Amino acid sequence: MSKKITFDYWEHLYSNRTEYMFSSEIRDLLSLSARPDIISFSGGLPEVRALSFQRLERYIKRILKTNGDISLQYGESEGYYPLRTKLIEVMKLEGLDTVEEDIITTTGGQQALDLLAKIFIDPGDIIITESPAYTGALNSFRSYEAKIIGIPLDKDGIDTSVLEKKLKELGDKKARVKFIYLVPNFSNPSGVTLSLQRRKKALELAKKYNIMILEDNPYGMLRYKDKPIPTIKELDSKGDDHTVIYISTMSKLFAPGFRIGWIVAPHPILEKIILGVQSSILCVSTFSQRIAYEYFSDPSWRDNIDEFIKIYAKRRDAMINTLEESFPEGTSWSIPKGGFFIWLKLPHYLNTKEILADAVRNNVAFVPGSAFYADERGINEARLAFCTENTERIEKGIKILAGIIKEKIKLYKSFK
Amino acid sequence: MKKNIAVLMGGRSLEREFSIKSGQRVSNALKKLGHKVIKLDIDESIVDNLNSEKIDLAYIALHGKDGEDGTIQEILEVLNIPYTGPGVYPNVVSFDKIVSKQIFMSLDIPTPPFYFLNTSSFRELGSSKLLPFITKKIGLPLVVKPSAQGSALGIRIVNEKESIPEAIISALSYSKKVILEKFIDGVELAVSIIGKEPRILPVVEIVPKKKFFDFESRSRTGETEYFVPARVSASSDKKVKEVAIAVHNALKCNKLSRVDIIMDRKEEVPYVLELNTSPGMTDTSLLPMSAEAAGLSFEELVDEIIKMSL
Repeated sequence: MSKKITFDYWEHLYSNRTEYMFSSEIRDLLSLSARPDIISFSGGLPEVRALSFQRLERYIKRILKTNGDISLQYGESEGYYPLRTKLIEVMKLEGLDTVEEDIITTTGGQQALDLLAKIFIDPGDIIITESPAYTGALNSFRSYEAKIIGIPLDKDGIDTSVLEKKLKELGDKKARVKFIYLVPNFSNPSGVTLSLQRRKKALELAKKYNIMILEDNPYGMLRYKDKPIPTIKELDSKGDDHTVIYISTMSKLFAPGFRIGWIVAPHPILEKIILGVQSSILCVSTFSQRIAYEYFSDPSWRDNIDEFIKIYAKRRDAMINTLEESFPEGTSWSIPKGGFFIWLKLPHYLNTKEILADAVRNNVAFVPGSAFYADERGINEARLAFCTENTERIEKGIKILAGIIKEKIKLYKSFK
Repeated sequence: MKKNIAVLMGGRSLEREFSIKSGQRVSNALKKLGHKVIKLDIDESIVDNLNSEKIDLAYIALHGKDGEDGTIQEILEVLNIPYTGPGVYPNVVSFDKIVSKQIFMSLDIPTPPFYFLNTSSFRELGSSKLLPFITKKIGLPLVVKPSAQGSALGIRIVNEKESIPEAIISALSYSKKVILEKFIDGVELAVSIIGKEPRILPVVEIVPKKKFFDFESRSRTGETEYFVPARVSASSDKKVKEVAIAVHNALKCNKLSRVDIIMDRKEEVPYVLELNTSPGMTDTSLLPMSAEAAGLSFEELVDEIIKMSL
């Protein structure tokens, strides 16, 4: 008697949302990139080695000596108040004025996304994103069963004319649109910065259609060129100040290992978020928050940022110069003025998932573009992270990729 | 008796993640069986690592390059370390699907008709101009796949001739040679064979939700349904097993193999797609599934594999 095999006895009990949580073959291919012999352009890993470990040791010793018991206890769901005071100073450097009561700390920027998805998204709700968009955000929204609509971007960020048409169309259909998700500075994955004009336009459209903007700004302070552009939150604060929810993280300003991010939002929204925190993690790690407080209380943190910028800018230049020298005609890439990523476009007939297989065999890894789209697009695109490898390895890795791509273009042309 | 067993896993193959899952599960079983387990990732230190400890047996839980192409087997032969699974020859010939398909054809074992092309022939001999001839001979749809790659990576089913170049470029990302094979509309079956005196385990029927058993259908729970024994007639079951054992013997797989077959729906011809020398051992893999249907728990299966290899 033939029997259907059951791998998971409880398969019939899982929630529908687990259908939207999955791994992919990209993840499996990228598992190879953890090997030291692989030149990795895949993960956006901050250069934490540039931090002073002696200073960190001092902070930790001081915390344990003076407030050891409290720092190892549960804390406030809103986050450690003195740290929130420090965050006001940090945001002020980018021109954003706020108060402690409008801030809540989270376990990394990723939890901020999850909390906001949790309190705003019902199954079938529409979330608008720039496209390509940060995979972690797409996954978070999808896990709450949102329908994601991606709006294309160009060198000035999300195309607001396409956005306007789409919002009108959705408005006519009375669709339940909840928010527009944007990473305006040196976006992950595209590296593109949203122009001031389009920031204003996106805000105007959000207000017109009565939806929110979720502004995610992890890279804003890692600007290598030109002056900062006001955040959308700052633009909003000059008006009624209730349209933009702002998210950021310490992962790029300090270190991702402490897992601290934060949200700035109007008070009623924060109240709901706090309920979300209380029903999930109770509070962000007290110990991590106190270490972060020490870090941002030490004036040397600004020197660390300068050092980070110096390192990343050099790596970005190495990647762009080598792309220009070695990549064939028919390919193009973004030129970011900050952040961690360059977005690569190849001819339409090349599939970057398959090029990754070839690249990994030749000791180079990157993330194929399809990972950053909510639909089937991005097949011939890729994200290259320049933040992780040193300049020598960047040059070597890009040249290897160029060789693989040239060979494939030549092969394709032979069929014509 | 307690043995020192090195479980070889990971490596540089594209199936690294899958191999680690197999290796971890095998390691846990070996520990339960009372053996001392030494887990080894395959890298440039592998020869030193194998030499630095007394190893009674190497359990090969590797998939793809280095693990299933005869490389690690040859290293273990040189070091006189007994190992699980088939020897060098079956690994070398089965890893290259072109070689193994040629052997099947020479022995009148049914395998889907095919042609192969290699990278240099495109570059130096203008092979791209052969596509209209190949399409005419094989017909559409056809399967485009790399000659040496596991887990269905790089395989595409092509319905229009315009899509063939892209499929070839894709397959050549995984291997230096590409196979263009006739698409057989049929039932996908996996036949596992173990033992020095070959024992055929119950045949598994694979029913992917997608058009074929691709990488995601293999690795994501719920993407594929499996039935054991396969829901085929007794005569078909017999035919499938006969072909599988013929393949197992032809490639001299004296200890272990899994033969992948597609049974033509109309004519009930069991076409052999390939033979695997290091079948997956994860909790969704076909060999353990088949063994369980034969009454062998995972530990008993691992125990049998190591006993026949010592």
